[in-house]
Amino acid sequence: MIELVNLTKRYGRTLAVDHLNLTVEKGELFGFIGPNGAGKTTTLRMMAGILGATEGTIAIAGIDVAEYPEKAKKIIGFIPDRPFLYEKLTGMEFMGFIGALYGVAEEDFPVRAEELLQRFSLYDWGDHLIESYSHGMKQRLIIASALLHDPEIIIVDEPMVGLDPAGIRMVKNIFRGLADNGVTIFMSTHTLEIAADLCDRIGIIHRGRMIALGTTGDLRGTARLNEGDLEEVFLRLTGSGEETL
Amino acid sequence: MKEITTLLLPRYLSFKNAGISQDGGNRRVRLLLFTVIGILFWTGVFIAFYRVLTYFRGIEEFGDILAHKLLSMVIMTIFSLLVFSGIVASLSKLYLSRDLILVHSLPAARGSIFMARWLESTIDSSWMALFFSMPVFLSYGIVYKAGAFYYLTAGMTMVSLCLIASAVSVFLVLITAFILPAGRIRSLFVLLGLIFVVALIVAFRLMRPERLVNPESFASLILYLKEMGTTGSPLLPTTWAFDCLSAALANLKGKALFNLSLCWSCTGALSYIIGWTADLVYFGGYTKAQTSSARLLVHKIAVSSHRRRLFGMIPRPLRALVVKEVRTFFRDQTQWTQLFLIAALIVVYLYNFSVLPVEQAKIRTVYIQNIFSFLNMGLAAFVLTAIAARFVYPAVSCEGEAFWIIRAAPVELRQFLWVKLFVYYVPLLILVELLIVISNILLQVTPFMMVLSVVTIFLVTPGIIALGIGLGAAYPDFHAENSSQSVTSFGGLFFMLISAAFIASVIILEAGPVYQFFMADIQGRRLSNLQLGWLVISFVIVLMICALAVILPMRLGERRLGN
Repeated sequence: MIELVNLTKRYGRTLAVDHLNLTVEKGELFGFIGPNGAGKTTTLRMMAGILGATEGTIAIAGIDVAEYPEKAKKIIGFIPDRPFLYEKLTGMEFMGFIGALYGVAEEDFPVRAEELLQRFSLYDWGDHLIESYSHGMKQRLIIASALLHDPEIIIVDEPMVGLDPAGIRMVKNIFRGLADNGVTIFMSTHTLEIAADLCDRIGIIHRGRMIALGTTGDLRGTARLNEGDLEEVFLRLTGSGEETL
Repeated sequence: MKEITTLLLPRYLSFKNAGISQDGGNRRVRLLLFTVIGILFWTGVFIAFYRVLTYFRGIEEFGDILAHKLLSMVIMTIFSLLVFSGIVASLSKLYLSRDLILVHSLPAARGSIFMARWLESTIDSSWMALFFSMPVFLSYGIVYKAGAFYYLTAGMTMVSLCLIASAVSVFLVLITAFILPAGRIRSLFVLLGLIFVVALIVAFRLMRPERLVNPESFASLILYLKEMGTTGSPLLPTTWAFDCLSAALANLKGKALFNLSLCWSCTGALSYIIGWTADLVYFGGYTKAQTSSARLLVHKIAVSSHRRRLFGMIPRPLRALVVKEVRTFFRDQTQWTQLFLIAALIVVYLYNFSVLPVEQAKIRTVYIQNIFSFLNMGLAAFVLTAIAARFVYPAVSCEGEAFWIIRAAPVELRQFLWVKLFVYYVPLLILVELLIVISNILLQVTPFMMVLSVVTIFLVTPGIIALGIGLGAAYPDFHAENSSQSVTSFGGLFFMLISAAFIASVIILEAGPVYQFFMADIQGRRLSNLQLGWLVISFVIVLMICALAVILPMRLGERRLGN
């Protein structure tokens, strides 16, 4: 469903992503973790067609993102780490805007939008300007809008930032349910418990390179640890633990 | 005091570090460009004042009265501008800036926070007036052969005047923000815009500049001279400043120092008053400003069947972009002030044409009417450039941090940019065509000039809008706190220069053949083949330039935005 081949991104002399190769299957919930500045957000943005790659290819459901960006974007739901929105639109207007851009049928839109706003506890706020929303409400609105067109792939960067515990549980359940129904989810997160709980496989990126890939058990093996949670595995593989000590 | 300087430190450091930021190269070019334009303007002001004052000095007795009247008018104008820009700057610095949450979370006294923000807004709102008033005072000093005492006094008076104006502005803002209901702080911009527009139109109507070309309207010269010699109220800081400068020019040190002390004691007293007022009301007003802003017009506009049919012709994703663009524009109350200003500009513009005494000119009326009409085309296009600089150029940057939505959406950047162009093109074309047609009717021009003006504007408008959108996309600033200020960036200046060059080239290309055509028409003769060829070639080149002005910037914008 998602295929990254030799994906590379350079910002001037800085190598942000270094020849990344990865395949994520349909219906898989993939966790993408790494220290700050490891290249997670850059990778996600390249996958979503927001950034161009310096080298390599990205195929989304067999569609080359560089060659057919609009076609690929039609089946992607992208959720960024920071909820920047059009503050002067109401929640419902924003949903309408996204629905029209992603080609949601006009007759289906009202029911679909209402259902999503209700599911994300935003229905009562639908006619309020987004500028009056809290950080968490904006984040929920972005997630709701990303699901509006029934995407085949969801690319999500730090989904839980700004959400309250109920919101986190809701999003976790939704993502799990979507993956069980065949939606592929590529999720970058710093919250290792969520990655361990939720993801089918996890990839650890460090200095732009994929240094480990697999289930939590596989990663433990890569880190040569007999026991310990994902946090220990992560610290061992990235050397972050030694730095902090 | 240390706390205040510490609070001002981020601003100073940001300014200092701007050169080493990623945008450093761009900034240096911008700085160079601004410096060159600033020096040119500065020199222009100096030459103009120097020549006028030299001329005035040559007139026995009456010349000095005129020079002093001019000085008092300059001081009054500068003070009014300082008060108005002070209101806008302090409103933003004290209530709306993004960094206020951080600043108020710091363990600093509220009084220090207020003082630091006030000083910052004073500098922001005054430096330009201070800088460009220098050549005026310099020319007075040179023409009146004043000594060092005058220059020192002039500098100190101007600094004091800036502080007084800023204190008056901040006092008004403090009280208004405290009185206004929560969420209405931003509406203050709308209120200010309205007041400014009404004041501008009323002042213009009261001045009746058309009388200047009609000497018979002055009933009595003595009455006129008496009026010219009248000084302002002795309670006004502008009167003290004027008295101080005129005394310093005449080397009357005692009088000058007395008025200077009046200015500075007023500055001191006002600083104390605003500090005290801020202690009472600033934090309350600031707290209210943090609530979400209330919408000024909340009723939903029903979509008429006509409009639905009109929008129905546009594909749905593009229609969504159009609707989003229109909604976000009109819901931003800060835009309204600018709309009011444009309305005032247009009223004054058309009013000028209605009172233009063309029939009193010594040259043949038909000739001068059509000359005006031709110049009017260029003027209207420059007005359009000014409007485009404020609204069209920042249109891409206005997406701000939410631009990721467009990048992530299945919409081509080309479509996104063309939608922007379309959204601004339609209303601006109607506006400029209306300007041209009404002013031409007022000038009673020939049908040929009417058609030529309408067609030229029709051809030039897409080019100006495309330059705004294209260059705005080529030099976007998605992180700006106020994207409308992006016009002062390198890209904004580049847009204005290119746009001016574009308009000038069209006007120059048309001027020659149109003059030949017009003269032939007046003299009742036919155009020669050579003249006809010149006319055709010129208009073909105009068409080509207009087409290139649309295509090239849009392509550049798309390419640069994509990267």
